[in-house]
Amino acid sequence: MGQPLHLAVLAAAAWAVGALAVTWLRARGFGRRVLLAPAAGDRSAGVCYAFTRAMLPQAKESVRMHLPSYAAGMVFHLGTFAAFGVLAFVLAGVDLPAAVVWPARIATLAGALGGLALLAKRALTPHLRGLSSPDDFVANLLTTSFAALAGAASLRPQLQTAWLVVATMLLLYLPIGKIRHCIFFFSSRAYLGAFFGYRGTFPSAS
Amino acid sequence: MVTIEERIDALTERELQHGLDVFRSKLRAAEASYLNACVHCGLCAESCHYFRMEPTLENVPARKLDHVAAVFRRHFTTAGRLAPGLVGARGFDRAMVRAWLDAVFGRCSLCGRCSLNCTIGIGLPRVFRAARAALAAMDLVPDDLQATVDNSLRHGNNMAITREDWVDTVQWLEEELQMETGDPEARLPLDRHGAKMLFTVNPREPKFFPLSLQASAKVFWAAREDWTLASDPGWDLTNYGLFNCNDEQAGQITQNLVDAMARLGCTTLVIGECGHGFGAARWEGPEWLQRTYPFELRSMLDVMDEYLESGRITVDPARNAKTVTLHDPCNLVRHGGVSEPQRRVLRRSVSRFVEMTPSREHNFCCGGGGGQLAMAAYKDRRIRSGGMKAQQIKDTGAEIVVAPCHNCIDQLMELNKEYRLGVQIKTVAEMVAEALVTDGPPPTDGKGTT
Ligand code: SF4
Ligand code: SF4
Repeated sequence: MGQPLHLAVLAAAAWAVGALAVTWLRARGFGRRVLLAPAAGDRSAGVCYAFTRAMLPQAKESVRMHLPSYAAGMVFHLGTFAAFGVLAFVLAGVDLPAAVVWPARIATLAGALGGLALLAKRALTPHLRGLSSPDDFVANLLTTSFAALAGAASLRPQLQTAWLVVATMLLLYLPIGKIRHCIFFFSSRAYLGAFFGYRGTFPSAS
Repeated sequence: MVTIEERIDALTERELQHGLDVFRSKLRAAEASYLNACVHCGLCAESCHYFRMEPTLENVPARKLDHVAAVFRRHFTTAGRLAPGLVGARGFDRAMVRAWLDAVFGRCSLCGRCSLNCTIGIGLPRVFRAARAALAAMDLVPDDLQATVDNSLRHGNNMAITREDWVDTVQWLEEELQMETGDPEARLPLDRHGAKMLFTVNPREPKFFPLSLQASAKVFWAAREDWTLASDPGWDLTNYGLFNCNDEQAGQITQNLVDAMARLGCTTLVIGECGHGFGAARWEGPEWLQRTYPFELRSMLDVMDEYLESGRITVDPARNAKTVTLHDPCNLVRHGGVSEPQRRVLRRSVSRFVEMTPSREHNFCCGGGGGQLAMAAYKDRRIRSGGMKAQQIKDTGAEIVVAPCHNCIDQLMELNKEYRLGVQIKTVAEMVAEALVTDGPPPTDGKGTT
């Protein structure tokens, strides 16, 4: 049962990477804006700032006002990355080093809790519910299940089949819905940083 | 006259397609990335002054973005074409046009505060500008905003001031300046060929706030600057093409400035105190015209900062003894990159300067940006959303609010009344002029914009 499922996960991963690459190239295909006004600042410094200090609570009121959501989001993402890490070991047929077994378990299970918390917030906050499309729920449920099962399967190996099925579904879904932000987060933040860097707003003077 | 609602009802499929084509033509890779990136986390909600003062779904920045992104997904992504219900994709129909109009004209001042607070880093105003451009292409710009643009195109200034009235006002202010300084040689020069600086103003100054123009002239006088005003088109720094997002019209208005510089042979274009005017001329103008300027462009704030730094003018802060705070116009500061010159100037020119919280690029929009002052239909929302700025002002305890932008000043004056702030509202130049130490007679009683 294990081997075909491994192949399914790998095929789904290939699909995800390929489809994401196409989506990204299509977005790039909209072309670059040629800027003629002389720069007031440094684009690269703006990009650097956008990926570092601009994301910290000191620079971001939205983070300061929503610290629990920010924390839940961070844990959710860390848990998801950890689950992908564990998946890579499983697919490679290599045992996880003993020193990381428990940290990975904790990270994935905590990540799943973070995901559940965000799902509950989405369902219970009126303006978040209003903002949401089915994609928001599907993406969260798949990712949360993936992280949860990664942790659970390391405790109960009989859950590994279910985990690999969910991993396949997640990877198949990944380029279709909002999980696309795994690439568009980086490009968007880079564009924003370059824009504000060029205009001399980033890095912040305050 | 056909109302905007009637125009939407009468839209043909061809016109809708044209709007969509224009929308597509305004998108570049950055906007395409932004339109693919929102995760609907909702963390941007409170960054918007509209949402803060009226916490409804339609005021959440991401909701405004989503109206536009839904169309993008439906027409420009495979997932949106194949599974629109799943990913929240929607076609560009009359209902969507209404939603766009309400979101990008009616509930957004293009202030960009949401961008800094977005989890992802989405430049929402860039997307909203593309949507406004699509609406403009379908003749769906609110009439009064479009009329302001039309005034600039027809009369060379957005208030349709005649050349005669403008020249009369300048000459009258020259006499006032001579009386104020006691110097019969003090000038508001008009059409001085070969002057170093061409100084441009907001038409609200000759029309309603002549003292602010006089204050700038006094600063030039004290600095012994080689400057001029233009009597023909090119004296008005405003450009509401930044707000109707019709780039062709915006380019024509920018061309007035370029032509005046060529006509008068000046080397430096000085943009007076106006946020959107600075943003339009400094940042967007070269893109609209698709060429670089053959001259230097500076903000009046930068010019005054240099005068003070170099000792070309001197000021006595004791002459401005009241507590002063500073409003940061979004197009000048967050989107314009000019945040420090005005601070250095004020710290030198006033006794007590107190920052608003938050300030600089984190400032709250006053509510008057994005062309909101020119759109009567959304006036109630504009005044309500300005409540954030009113609260910020109250919290400083300041007696004078300095705003280096005449659009913001208009809005702040309305907020002053509505929220009973009891403050005076002035430009930076007015504060400097008041504090100038010159050989002339003592300063006036400090009457300002309000
Ligand atoms: S640009 Fe400003 S007004 Fe528009 S949605 Fe963002 S925060 Fe609100
Ligand atoms: S913060 Fe950014 S990603 Fe989150 S809902 Fe707002 S616009 Fe979308």
